Formats: sequence, structure tokens, C-alpha cells
Amino acid sequence: MRESLSRMVIMAEMHGRDLVRRHIAIALLVALPMSFYLSSVGEGRDAVGTGGVAMAFAVGGATVFSALSSSEVDHRLVLSGYRPHELLVGRLLFLCPFGIVLSGLFTALMAPISHPDNPGVLLLGVSAVAAIAVPFGIAVAAIVPRELEATLVLIGVVGIQLAVSHTSTVAKLLPFYGARLLIDTGLAGHGPILWPLIEGAMYAVALLALARVFIGPRLSIRTAARRGG
Amino acid sequence: MPPDELVVEGVCKRYRRATVLDRVSLSVTAGEVVALTGENGAGKSTLMRICAGLLPADAGEVRVAGAVGYCPQTPGLFELLTADEHLVMFGRGLGLGRATALRRGHDLLDEFGFPVGARVVTAEMSGGTRQKLNLAIALLGNPGLLLLDEPYQGFDRGTYVNFWDHCRAWSRQGKAVVVVTHMLAELSRADRVVELPSHPSLERP
Repeated sequence: MRESLSRMVIMAEMHGRDLVRRHIAIALLVALPMSFYLSSVGEGRDAVGTGGVAMAFAVGGATVFSALSSSEVDHRLVLSGYRPHELLVGRLLFLCPFGIVLSGLFTALMAPISHPDNPGVLLLGVSAVAAIAVPFGIAVAAIVPRELEATLVLIGVVGIQLAVSHTSTVAKLLPFYGARLLIDTGLAGHGPILWPLIEGAMYAVALLALARVFIGPRLSIRTAARRGG
Repeated sequence: MPPDELVVEGVCKRYRRATVLDRVSLSVTAGEVVALTGENGAGKSTLMRICAGLLPADAGEVRVAGAVGYCPQTPGLFELLTADEHLVMFGRGLGLGRATALRRGHDLLDEFGFPVGARVVTAEMSGGTRQKLNLAIALLGNPGLLLLDEPYQGFDRGTYVNFWDHCRAWSRQGKAVVVVTHMLAELSRADRVVELPSHPSLERP
């Protein structure tokens, strides 16, 4: 158990080191949701919802890239003794806090401009978008393990979530619905908090389970081969 | 007779309609250096991946006696991590702490003439330098079986010649070494040469 945790922590550390050295990518991660927000800020408070959900483009995109660019390394890591779920959790351990920090910065930018009634819940909502975007990106990369196709799926799902009214049935089936409701609650100062959180958490768990199903066979060691490198 | 470190029996592999490996059998004993040759598409890399356990065979069986060190043709490395960070990461998988992984890794890299201590990420390394790291990672766990898929790509002449000296040293340590190679001039440095046949089904338009 301790060994397994230690392997997850090392994976998180190395994913972090690899990502924070990509300065242009980091700048784009911040700029992407911000540009969505700033381009629609003149249309009133809806801009907060648009910018908040657009956080999924940034964090989900970073996750898809992280997962797909390391698929060759993942094979060798499993051969050296890592278990597939340790690679998955290691990625989560870095990307979730990273996304939540981005959400904090982004909310701090939006709050003085859009004056949400409950900035704390707004932060919770934007953070929930980031936190769900990580398992979503991992699941997309697991199911569609090619960069172009995976990116198109990401753009499609987040784009639909942004485009459709959040009262529509389609919106309710998409992964960021609960987080979007939290953002609305943060803006209005009233509305549901607990069940959108539970819904988001359940979606995240389901996405991770789905990713594990697809990643497992791809990364399993098939012969009597044991630890090596 | 030294024990078998690797036994391959009747392994077959097809990609769609193309037969890549057709009932391939091979055994490699401890202390033996085997050169695996064959034309492009003969299935050398596929066989190595099957032996490493990274790819399933459609038929046949692969047995390995212990730990496997696999050095792929294209280094599977993170672009923006340094050599030390790779050593720590792979070392952890092998159950090694940071200090042990670095010490053991530096010893291996030093043998290959790698600039140990340089804080350069792999994206900024030359092809040969990256291959040295690739090779060191394969050796980090002190495996009994080494599967090296053209591990010398990008090496300069001196390092390439030394590579075969290293193969001999590893065999003296009791390791079984399988090297995929196209370099016919160096085949005499292996104990045995195994040539994989090419398959007509691959050559059809």
C-alpha cells in the first residue's frame, strides 16, 4: 500500500515537472477560459458560466495531451513495476490540484468584474469543472487514443455543453452539468449546491472507471515477464 | 548447461491479413548474446514486444525466467524530464529509492559516456545521448534478460563498438542478451545469430 502510494506520488511529481516546463502551454491554459469570459463579458453574467465551463477545454486538453503523449512511456513504466491504476491516479494527483489552482486564479479575475452573489460557491463551481475535466480527459484519451480524434471529442462535448441551454435534456446528460449549476448558484446566491456536487463526483468516478476498463488491457503485461525496465 | 532465461515456442502474430510472425521459436540461455536479424517487416520489434509482455501473441507461448530489461527502438521517455528524473521515476517502479536509483543509474550512464549531472531534458539531448539513457533504464533493475531493439541508433562509432563490449560484459554477469541488429559486420560478436524470415504476405500490394 505504501509502495503503491509512493509510486503514485512520483508519477504526480513527474507529470507536474513535465507540464510546468511547457510555458507556452501553461499560458494558453490560462488564456483559453479567460478569452471565452472576456469576449462575452459585455453580455452580462452569462459570461461567467461560459468562462467557467470553458475551463474544461483548458484542463481537459492538458489531460488528454498528458495521457496521450506518455502512452509509450506508460508501457515501460508498467514493465518496470507500476500498475496501470497507479499511472492513472498519479496523473489525477497532479492535474486535479493544478486545475483547481487555475480555477482559483480565474475566479479571482472574474469576481471583481461580474460581482457574483456568492464568490465561494462560484469558486466551487469553476473548480468542479476543472476537477471533472481531468477524469473526462483521461477517459477520452483512453477510449480514443489518438490526439486529433480525442481533441475533437473534447471540443465536441464541451462545445455542446456551452452551446445548449442548461435546462435542456442534453445539457443534463453531459459531464459538466452539475458544475454549471454550481456556477449559477454562485452567481445568483441561491440554488442547489449539494446534489450538483454529488452528481459531478459520480460522473468523475464513472469516467475514471471507464478509463480504467480501456487502459487496463492496453497496459497489462501479458507474459511471464516480470519487473525490468 | 546454463538455464534458459527466455523460451519462445511457436509464436504467431498477425496484423489484419499480414502474418508478421509465423511459428517462431527461440531460446536464450543465461550468459548468451543472441543477435536477432531479418529484413524490414520480418517482425523483430514485434517479437521483442511480445517477449517483453507488451504485446499479446496470437498463438504460442513465451516464458521468461526472471526480470526483463526492455530497450525499445524509439526511446519511451518524457520530453521535458531530465535523465535523473527518469532514473528516479523508473527506479521507483523497480522498488528503488531516489538515492539508489540515481547511484545505480549514474554508474550505468557513466559506462556509456553519458554526461552525468547535466540538467538537460531529453528533448534537448542528441539521439545517441537519448539512446544511452534508454539503455540505462533497461538495465536499472539489473534484469536477467535484456531485450535490446536496435539500441545503438545515433551512437558514434566508438560508442557503438563499446556497446558490443558491454554486451559481452553483461553476458559474463550471467545475463541473457537479445540484440536486434542490422549491422552485419558485428554479427561475429554475438554467440548466435537468429534470422527471422520475411513473410510474402507482407510484400503483397
